[in-house]
Amino acid sequence: MPVGYSIYLERPSYIHHRIDPRTKLAALGSVFVLALAFNHPAVLGGLMLLLLLIAQVAQLSWRSLLPFLIGGIWFLVLGLLIWPFYVQGGPKLFTIFGNPIYLNGVLFGLAMGLRVALMVLAAGIWMMTTSPQKLTVGLLRLGLPYKAGVTMTAAIRFVPLLNAERITITEAQQSRALNLSRGNPFKRAVKSIAIIGPLFIRTIDLAQSLALALEARGFAARDGRTSIVSIEMTNIDRVILVVLAVACLVAIALRILGIGLISRSYL
Amino acid sequence: MAEPLPLAKGEAAIEVDDARFRYSASGPEVLHGVSLRVAKGEYLAMIGQNGGGKTTLAKLFNGLLKPTSGTVRTAGINTRDATVAELARTVGYVYQNPDHQIFAQKVRTEIAFGPRNLGLTPEEVTKRVDDALDLVELRDYEDAFAFSLGRGLRQKLAVASVLAMSPPVIVVDEPTTGLDLQGSRSILDLLSRWNADGRTIIVITHDISLVAERVPRTVIISGGNILADGPTRDVLSNADLLQKAFLRPPQVTRVAQRLQQFGIPPNVMTVHELRDELRRALRA
Repeated sequence: MPVGYSIYLERPSYIHHRIDPRTKLAALGSVFVLALAFNHPAVLGGLMLLLLLIAQVAQLSWRSLLPFLIGGIWFLVLGLLIWPFYVQGGPKLFTIFGNPIYLNGVLFGLAMGLRVALMVLAAGIWMMTTSPQKLTVGLLRLGLPYKAGVTMTAAIRFVPLLNAERITITEAQQSRALNLSRGNPFKRAVKSIAIIGPLFIRTIDLAQSLALALEARGFAARDGRTSIVSIEMTNIDRVILVVLAVACLVAIALRILGIGLISRSYL
Repeated sequence: MAEPLPLAKGEAAIEVDDARFRYSASGPEVLHGVSLRVAKGEYLAMIGQNGGGKTTLAKLFNGLLKPTSGTVRTAGINTRDATVAELARTVGYVYQNPDHQIFAQKVRTEIAFGPRNLGLTPEEVTKRVDDALDLVELRDYEDAFAFSLGRGLRQKLAVASVLAMSPPVIVVDEPTTGLDLQGSRSILDLLSRWNADGRTIIVITHDISLVAERVPRTVIISGGNILADGPTRDVLSNADLLQKAFLRPPQVTRVAQRLQQFGIPPNVMTVHELRDELRRALRA
């Protein structure tokens, strides 16, 4: 199956081929709900393990997950750097520059980092296991207008393409003695206009050529196109959807009851 | 059989010694031990199929890529020891697509970008921009909106913006892509003029007939190796050699080679030459 330039990884796994893209989309949404419902690092850590297990079942290599895990670690560091200064409660651990740091603050920071990491990893796994074609068909069945569906898959396809453009543009400007690694952050931001400017123009250019090419090939000449990709909701999908719905409802109930939380005053 | 390499005489502008390159540690080797010496003031064309390694080799010259093994020296500096921005003083690189570099609104500002990056004084920048505008004949457009220029003019603008940095070596990657004959010729005229000024010019192109007309030295790059390197007349008239790189001699050369039995030499490069040779043969 042609996958174009997406991060989709073809694997002979159950998750890739037997589960309906609509179910996978619901699962992604559920992970978001669950990640937002709790703010205790133990619960979120458990969810993280569950996600990694799913990635294993989907036969995704650790190597392909690495960028998302590295990103997750950054969010953890960021969470630990910011939140302990705001969230109090629990035993006092130590003092930094006159700011007392409490256990709950550290745990909450950990949880916030895990929360973002969860969302990022879930989105990554979702994109790696759902082919853009199937995703589009799934969204169309859910009532998305055809043009919007194509726009969305085109946008996914454009990401690596634009990255390649960015690299070429950076090389071209470096060849004109642009040194992005010198100067303070403000100066560097100003300098990066030389990269962002052409990148914008190229993006508009690419989008326009794509639009013309699509129209030239009779795009949207008639409604309701058929697709070579067929998708079907099976009983497994229905079971998964019920489990997801229950999980979300339970999570919301627990949230209201205040279980699985470090702090009730923060989301 | 590759021809024996005639060592370029004089001081070296670029010296590539047994350079190997792969884009990633596990990826395929793109250059398999390339050695090339370009003397100061030379005018050289690199030809060959897409994916043969021309652009990769050219990117080694200004340090955009560093060789996986072997060395590349630009004006005596090992490219491993310098940043691209530093090497930009010595090697200018004009990209194939001008839209990869144009970002300023005005033509003037765009040209001034490189000289400013070099840390020149405002007066010097203005002078460089004026000179570049005159050289590429964009004077009438100096205050025009850069993106609204036509393809040929944008290509000229890209060239001017590198020229304004006044590098002694200039690499031009497929300057004639997407240009009409007039546009191609005016860019190549420009390259010839710079070369006459003593600059070293390396041009990557698929346009064999333009190479035959203007460029004294030709290097064929094929499958990550240098297949041939020598005077253009010798390289482009060797049909067997060119065939190995899926190239053919220029049309006029092929005509001349068919007329060999009538005393026409097989290494005619231009229409003018063929006319002269025909005239001579007919008189004889």
